Amino acid sequence: MTSIQQQVHTWLEEGRVDIFLAYRMVEGHPLPHAFTRERIDETDTLVTGPARYSLEKFATHIASRYPDAKIGMVARDCNQRALNVLQVWNQLKPGQVDTVPVNCCPSLLKPHADCSYLEPKPAGHVKLERGQDPNQSLAQADTLPRAERFDRWMYEFSKCIKCYGCRNICPVCFCKDCSLEHPDLIGTGHLPPDIPIFHLVRAVHMAGRCIDCGLCEDACPAEIPLRLLYRKVNAIVKDLFGYETGSGDTLPPFSILGDKPTMSPQPLLAVSQE
Amino acid sequence: MDLKFVPSICSYCGTGCGVLFEVLDGELVGTLPMKTHPVNHGKLCIKGWNLHEHVNSPLRLKHPLVKTFGRFTKVDWDKAIGVATDRLKAVIAAHGPDSVGILVSAKMTNEENYLAQKFARAVIGTNNVDHCARL
Repeated sequence: MTSIQQQVHTWLEEGRVDIFLAYRMVEGHPLPHAFTRERIDETDTLVTGPARYSLEKFATHIASRYPDAKIGMVARDCNQRALNVLQVWNQLKPGQVDTVPVNCCPSLLKPHADCSYLEPKPAGHVKLERGQDPNQSLAQADTLPRAERFDRWMYEFSKCIKCYGCRNICPVCFCKDCSLEHPDLIGTGHLPPDIPIFHLVRAVHMAGRCIDCGLCEDACPAEIPLRLLYRKVNAIVKDLFGYETGSGDTLPPFSILGDKPTMSPQPLLAVSQE
Repeated sequence: MDLKFVPSICSYCGTGCGVLFEVLDGELVGTLPMKTHPVNHGKLCIKGWNLHEHVNSPLRLKHPLVKTFGRFTKVDWDKAIGVATDRLKAVIAAHGPDSVGILVSAKMTNEENYLAQKFARAVIGTNNVDHCARL
């Protein structure tokens, strides 16, 4: 037994958690699995990767049906940030989810990611010529002239098949009524989607919410560099309001419930430089 | 509190994307793309993403139905097949075998598809055979 398997076994046995979300190998595929006290022997088969599913989203599904359930899960850094956002937005009670931290993102000690996605995939020549390279930094993306940047983004958006995969897989998307399906805003059924409004509506909603996990970009059949786009909106939120998404326990500046904004804007620094 | 993840194959088209069903307390609550599946590599189209909805849909056909005088009535399989046989025979007698077409499926086995085209060609006597993968 590995130390993580041992730890999960103990947690379930002692009743620290009722259900523990991690992975196990099923016919060669690492798939998410819910470990429970009733089937505690299964903890021998627990693995932590390499595929990455939004375990915290499953946790919210359990919590909405069993509000007092004590949930455990293995958490990479992105899972941890998502849990933080879900707690801030009252989708999970504080302390309801207990985590076992596991490795993922590349670091100085470990140049490669353990995660299925974070290994950069080189962009092909059409993408480099007409679209946006998902591996570039925000600073690099901002160096191109405005018109060219717009053209390149429009090329990326024009590939959208409106599968709603970016929203469906998003760990921090939980609204019952989604703007992307609202008949007065976007509406369902029409193809191709209105660009760029479809993607920009989602981008605006990701401001102060996106935890930069990259699951949306991973799930996009059209390979639109969504992560880069949402990084940009979050960078604006950070510059304007000093809000660091996924850390701390305050609601983001764009929560409009109540009669006044939760944060006051700062002087426009990065944005006004253009 | 019983949460299960069931790997499966999307039932819509012939591509055969790997999906993962999220089953909470025996109820199908969600569909996810299987990240490591060699066909779709963690991606799905809008139909695949909504597989669980047609499984749970109240409009889903669960029994053979026969339409008589404009209304559907629930019947058993023998009765339904009997009605289909009688009407097919009547149509073929009145308009010839090429008035009938057989639609097969990319989600059936090779053997079932073979059987269906054999039925069309040898029993009904038409070459009108087509299938859903010609989308």
